[in-house]
Amino acid sequence: MKDIGFIQVGDLTLRADPARDSCFTVVRSDTELHEYEGTGEVARRELVHRHMSNEITSLDIAAQCVAEFPDAPWGLRMELARQCWDETRHVAALHRRLKEMGGRKGEFPISAFEWNITCALDNLVGRLATQNRTLEAGAMDVVGGLIRNVRAAGDNRTADLLDGILVDEIQHVRFGNQWIKRMAESDPRVLLKVAMAVRFLAHVNVTFQAAEGEVNPVGRVLEAVTERIPAVNVEDRRLAEFSDEEIHEILRQAGFRSLVPENEGSAP
Amino acid sequence: MPLTVAERGQTIATFRFIEVRLMEIAAAWVPTTPEMEVKVLLGKHIWDFAQHADALGKRTFELRLPEQFSQRPSDVYVQLLDGVAAIEDTARRLTALYDALLPGVERRYLRYIERTDTLLDAPSVVIVERILQDLVRQRREVGSLRGETGLMPANAEDLRRQDGSLDTVVVLRGEA
Repeated sequence: MKDIGFIQVGDLTLRADPARDSCFTVVRSDTELHEYEGTGEVARRELVHRHMSNEITSLDIAAQCVAEFPDAPWGLRMELARQCWDETRHVAALHRRLKEMGGRKGEFPISAFEWNITCALDNLVGRLATQNRTLEAGAMDVVGGLIRNVRAAGDNRTADLLDGILVDEIQHVRFGNQWIKRMAESDPRVLLKVAMAVRFLAHVNVTFQAAEGEVNPVGRVLEAVTERIPAVNVEDRRLAEFSDEEIHEILRQAGFRSLVPENEGSAP
Repeated sequence: MPLTVAERGQTIATFRFIEVRLMEIAAAWVPTTPEMEVKVLLGKHIWDFAQHADALGKRTFELRLPEQFSQRPSDVYVQLLDGVAAIEDTARRLTALYDALLPGVERRYLRYIERTDTLLDAPSVVIVERILQDLVRQRREVGSLRGETGLMPANAEDLRRQDGSLDTVVVLRGEA
């Protein structure tokens, strides 16, 4: 069976890129993406395109986990298979929105970096810790903020679409949390694998993160790493079964900035 | 003679093996297939195959076998599945899965309904009939995808002939 190999980047062994349509330009770092300042028309189109690409990558990762870990518990394989379907609907919905906005697939550079990192790990619990519990949970924070920004720019269709995606992501993070806990209860060595995966992710992030003041190809000046940490989506993280202690730690890292629920204060 | 209880259990368990394998083949193809629209189709069908396997796996427990029990089909059929899994070209992948393998799977499900006691084994029949509906939808969806992407069917005659030559893929064990 055709398999995707590994690449060496400095001292890091990463998974080689998954297959992409020839219309896409795949880049390796955030600084090469065309992330625009603000919420203008092109910026929102690039945002939708980037999220569509990220959802393709999430589909690739979940599918690869189904394929590469045939001995995983059946209940967990079912969750991953369901995640595949969710990600396909996200890709299709974002593609539909992109076309409505006058865009096309391949219009902007994309990255498959989450695949390169997650699928470099040789164990499923490490992948759940990296992709579901860390990267997708982080995406819940990012998307929660984006929904507000896009809505403030008057683009309710994109905001509603992102919210429809966000609600599915809660379950992807939640089952990651649930299965890590369950597996750690039956085998405490699982926690070591989780710790090693988190350390690997942190090392990759330090290696590839953009420096403060770097300018991307469309002229956006990138902020310091600490400034790029999004406000925490406390409400959805609770639903995804992060403990109060875990949420407190994430809030501390984000300078205690959290998202206020969109409907807070509105009539029932 | 209708199938015995043991034959029903082992056949359902064999169907489960096949659905799990189809799920794994579609899953392995997703990251190695370039076309976004094909990834989307395969991703959706991964979940279909998983649900089929899950429903069949619940039924095995009701037929004196462990829950989510899979029984390996004949070696020839496993080799056929492995051969399909190894295909790399997208159009050939779609043809092998949707125009050769799945029609064979469909034929075996229909034969199961013909051979079982549809009253006593109605819980199996209900599951199989639901799967059959999904298989029809999947083939309709791949037809739409071909129209959208221009990925035309490849020649699947060899595969269809190999699959068609297998009278049964179930290997009965023990007292069955």
